[in-house]
Amino acid sequence: MSVTHDEVRHIARLAELDVAEETLEVLAAEMSSILAYIAQISGVPASEGVKPFVPGPDAVRFRADEVKPWPLAFGPERLAPAFKDGFFLVPKLGAFEDADA
Amino acid sequence: MNDPSQALADAKAAADRIVKAKRLNASLTPAKELRKSLLAAAAAAHPSGVLYGMAVAVKDTICTLEFTTTCGSKILEGYRSPYDATAVAKLRAAGALIAGKTNCDEVAMGSSTEHSAFGRTLHPFDRTRVPGGSSGGSAALVAAGAVPAALGSETGGSVRQPASFCGVVGIKPTYGRVSRSGLVAFGSSLDQIGVLGRSVHDAARVLSVISGRDARDATCEDRDSLRLPTVPESLQGFVIGIPKEYFPADLDPAVRRACDRVIRLLKEQGAAVREVSLPHTAYAVPTYYVVAPAEASSNLARYDGARYGPRFDGATDVRALYRATRGAGFGAEVRRRILLGTYVLSSGYYDAYYRKAQQMRALIAQDFRNAFDRGVDLLFTPTTPTPAFKAGEKLADPVAMYLSDCFTVTANLAGLPALSLPIGRCKGLPIGGQLIGQAFLEDELIEAAYAIERVVPAVEEA
Repeated sequence: MSVTHDEVRHIARLAELDVAEETLEVLAAEMSSILAYIAQISGVPASEGVKPFVPGPDAVRFRADEVKPWPLAFGPERLAPAFKDGFFLVPKLGAFEDADA
Repeated sequence: MNDPSQALADAKAAADRIVKAKRLNASLTPAKELRKSLLAAAAAAHPSGVLYGMAVAVKDTICTLEFTTTCGSKILEGYRSPYDATAVAKLRAAGALIAGKTNCDEVAMGSSTEHSAFGRTLHPFDRTRVPGGSSGGSAALVAAGAVPAALGSETGGSVRQPASFCGVVGIKPTYGRVSRSGLVAFGSSLDQIGVLGRSVHDAARVLSVISGRDARDATCEDRDSLRLPTVPESLQGFVIGIPKEYFPADLDPAVRRACDRVIRLLKEQGAAVREVSLPHTAYAVPTYYVVAPAEASSNLARYDGARYGPRFDGATDVRALYRATRGAGFGAEVRRRILLGTYVLSSGYYDAYYRKAQQMRALIAQDFRNAFDRGVDLLFTPTTPTPAFKAGEKLADPVAMYLSDCFTVTANLAGLPALSLPIGRCKGLPIGGQLIGQAFLEDELIEAAYAIERVVPAVEEA
């Protein structure tokens, strides 16, 4: 299992984590070595019928990991004066402080 | 009747001992703040509490009102929780004195307490070695005699492994025995608060106080707190299993000798001892390093510079702010595990890694059930493959570091209670033996530990 620099950059973006270019070499090597070590579980015969183990009270169980329709009647962009790339746009807090001064 | 003036004297003495142990870098609380807080706690504690006057240090992954809760991370530097963890609140209600916060690997990710943003903790007997981790600060303070007990937290062995390295007792209860409310989340299906103590009795009575139902944690079982067993006359009637997979050919010879001595003593105490097999043990560490980083990558998403701790500003938009804060705030090991967790959960890899690891976890838990179903009450194993290793020895090789938890992660994956206690020395360094029990039967675990503690020459060379 070999992880490329581009894959590290992609994963770092998904994880919202700045990764310095000069650390990519080491990170890619370390991730490759850890993933190679982890990969040994893929060779273990475990039938698809084995249910995931979740400790704790029976009432607490994982939800199915699935994409569901948006539960609102309309999108959140209609709830705010401004909305961009999934975020509500609001004035900077500093703007209020300046106004009070 | 408990004496308030004695409690004040004890609080002052505890503060003095913790300050004296400063060279270990085990406590993160400044001396002046610690003294003031301990004296105030002694004055406020109710004398009828079962832990009245007992100084208990708390790992920095557990929220306390009066001290910062940083998890050994820059990303939470200066953070003060608006509430006490349930375990801490229960300690206070029982009259215990919270004796500051202890150093740990950042966000509890590590096995050596070298990954703390506030410097490494030294081993109490040999400063060139590590105290284990991630609850290394708690273990070192107890081993140095500064406090009789301390809270730690476990995701893969972070109480038992440092307990073993430092020569103290460490208990990880059954998943759901102690509330996780106020424990900073790392791997939510694995995390439990545990206790480190100078003796089985000290650790057990603290565990008894912090255990029990809590409406603030849905994964905490609706059970009464743990009732402490008495010290048994013998181990007559106990069947103790020795899992052969925990005694590999390359096990440190001194660890093997110490374990053999305990097995002999168990038989002399009347226990029936039999070999058992837990065939999926070898897959526990790789399974753990899928499940734990996957859960961590989700849990740690909340540290983004907007809600907790410092903000690394100057960014042009909110995403850049998140990335800059997280990139600068997390240390190398935490960054590595977040990336690993994100990778195994990402599209195309989920089934190959995460689903497979969940199946492996079920098989590992089934191994234990099979052993217990065949009449075994408890399992006895070494806690770690070697005594404490040298500082820096495993820093460049993450997999080698992960393997130091190979005998402890199984109990976390299966949600079972386990206890480490000192069973001998190797060139002066402590060796730990581990008991693994059935879910919610911590009383059996503690009974057997009492019996071993009474007869094993814990400070003699093995």
